[in-house]
Amino acid sequence: MTVRGGRYRVAGVLLLLAVLHFTVLPLLGDPRVAPDFLLVALLVYAIRARPGDAAIAGFVVGLVADALTPVAFGAGVLAHTLVGYLAAWGKAVFFAENLMVNTGFVFVGSLVRDFIVLVAGRHVAGSVLLWQLVFWSPVRAVTTALAGMVTLFAFRRWLDVRMSE
Amino acid sequence: MSIAPDRFNTRRDTFAFGLCLLLSVALRMAPPPVQDTLASVITRSILAPFLTLQEQVLLMRAARTSYADVVAQRDSAFLSALEVKALEEENTRLRELLVLHQRLPVRHVAADVLHQAAPTDGLTLRLAAGARDGVLATAPVIARGGLLGIVRSVEPASAVAIVWAHPDFRVSAMTLDGEAFGIVAPHGAEGPWRMLLELQGVPYGVRVAPGTMIYTSGLGGGSGVYPRGVPIGTVLAVLDEQEGWSRTYLVEPAVQPAAVSHVIILTGPRVDLSGAFTDILP
Repeated sequence: MTVRGGRYRVAGVLLLLAVLHFTVLPLLGDPRVAPDFLLVALLVYAIRARPGDAAIAGFVVGLVADALTPVAFGAGVLAHTLVGYLAAWGKAVFFAENLMVNTGFVFVGSLVRDFIVLVAGRHVAGSVLLWQLVFWSPVRAVTTALAGMVTLFAFRRWLDVRMSE
Repeated sequence: MSIAPDRFNTRRDTFAFGLCLLLSVALRMAPPPVQDTLASVITRSILAPFLTLQEQVLLMRAARTSYADVVAQRDSAFLSALEVKALEEENTRLRELLVLHQRLPVRHVAADVLHQAAPTDGLTLRLAAGARDGVLATAPVIARGGLLGIVRSVEPASAVAIVWAHPDFRVSAMTLDGEAFGIVAPHGAEGPWRMLLELQGVPYGVRVAPGTMIYTSGLGGGSGVYPRGVPIGTVLAVLDEQEGWSRTYLVEPAVQPAAVSHVIILTGPRVDLSGAFTDILP
């Protein structure tokens, strides 16, 4: 696989995830537990990009997320920038190219993103914040991680993901 | 393909990260009109095809529901064996919305809700109707059962509504007999599934019994932001008392934002709507 061909394939997977975000999401029922395909796309990109590029990608995804639900504009940008940067940096330093590790990575990324959005946004407090953090965010993180796992498994050759260490 | 960095975190990466961080903080601190303008530009440009796609998916789902309804009339026994529960619920909601649609004595627009997988989705909702359909900012948004929120910003093909769970939401409320008046505001969550409202500032001398339905009063501003007579929720209990002055009541909302897939946006002048909800209320 050439580098250019590989880039096109990765771009295709990212575009597919963006399309899934807007087409599958309405069919999944409760939006609070639906997987966030945009976050999966960001992390799929971030784990194979330089930290700076991942931060820029996170910035763009955050802008899109904030434009869609403009409750606390900028909080999503901040959260996605941090998650993108930390994912790329952490992947380069700590993690192996393994399906389960990557799935765990998406799970943690979703939790961290939600935590930053909720705390930096300062639009929810008290019991609402508590239930978001201890219930809805973990549930969404699980569904998002599952979506990430299916994506990584389905496109493992294009994304260079190993099934085991 | 692997484009993972062999040298992580160079000066270029740190600079890009710092710049993005700085810009995101600046965006967070920007005045709301600037934030709304930026959100509107993004929605109209790169997000426009994706939002159209999402709207089409919702239309297809609704069409599928209608088709199931026709089949139900032809062969209800066969259909009942095949019918998915979710589709039945969707049908019921659409029918009830249709009844409400015919009863409303005011100009209005029906719209799909474009839910997003974000932790903030329950506070604002993106609606698939905009300026082209006659939607204006501050237009009340209602759903089956009662009041959902108010339109905050409008784009040509979509609009953003803040719902009653948003910390900025307030509405002037009353009981149907006009005895008790107060302001309804979000209260918080009682468990993961249950968000509540509170009715504040009810005069101490007026008692509101649990189970009493609370409606919009139509007060506030020139002709009021919300029309009179839209159900808000049911009183559960007294939450707080200021001895001799006022009471605050806990209210179970009439509409849960996460469960709403279709809404009605009121675009006409504010009139009394209490008659529109009489048979729909649970």
